[in-house]
Amino acid sequence: MNRVRILLVTAAIAVGIGLWFAFTAPVDRLQGEFSRIVNIHAPFLWVAFLAFGVTALASIMWLVKKTRGWDRLGEASAELGVVFTVAGLFTGMVWGQAVWGRAWDWGDARLATTAVMLFVYVGYLALRRATPDPEMRARRSAILGAVAVVQVPLVYFSVYMFRTLHQTPSIRPDGATMPEEMLVALLVNFLAITYLYFALLMARLYVARAEEAVMVDGSLAGDAVKPPRLSEVEDV
Amino acid sequence: MSDELIVIGTFVLSYALIIGYAARLHLRLRRAKD
Repeated sequence: MNRVRILLVTAAIAVGIGLWFAFTAPVDRLQGEFSRIVNIHAPFLWVAFLAFGVTALASIMWLVKKTRGWDRLGEASAELGVVFTVAGLFTGMVWGQAVWGRAWDWGDARLATTAVMLFVYVGYLALRRATPDPEMRARRSAILGAVAVVQVPLVYFSVYMFRTLHQTPSIRPDGATMPEEMLVALLVNFLAITYLYFALLMARLYVARAEEAVMVDGSLAGDAVKPPRLSEVEDV
Repeated sequence: MSDELIVIGTFVLSYALIIGYAARLHLRLRRAKD
């Protein structure tokens, strides 16, 4: 069994343990069963922040070192960040529908800034696909990856800057706003889902290296087609 | 629909998205190795 497979299997076990904690922890008196969603909603978005932070770090490192590995890491982490942001928004919408009576509200600062963050990182991935030259692709995405990360603090602090629907964080520097059993379940899920991100990141990098090994000479499908030599045609 | 069912469904669909992403990676790896 290779290293990546071991990571994925252990991540699945960690997520299983997280689920057990999530469904055995006590529920909130007012929100009932829906309060269990916090156990995946908050960790998914924390991992999205982490993933976009890693993309920014990798982007800056590429701009300094110009090595393929940093470009690969930036792309892999941004892709995972998008997946976890979608999962985080989906869980938040279900929770919002149950607790606030509405799944989405563009007037809410946290929801709107998170949606913008998602669109920008989908744009980052689209930019990569639209740029065939590897050097140019790495440069353009490194600049965007380094700049786009400003949205992470913007999303995080949006609940303090604007008083709208979304609550402030449950875990703060001065303590948590939940009973210990619920807090333990949440922390276990934070660890499990962060580990899942790390395992998936390693898997994504492994796939990227395997794909690059196939295209070892950097040739593209269209390279086999030569342009017509018009001067020779004119001579005939 | 009961609250429990909606919550379980939310967990299942969220992890299905992540499993789907992992499955896509697996397919890309197989294609690269073929």
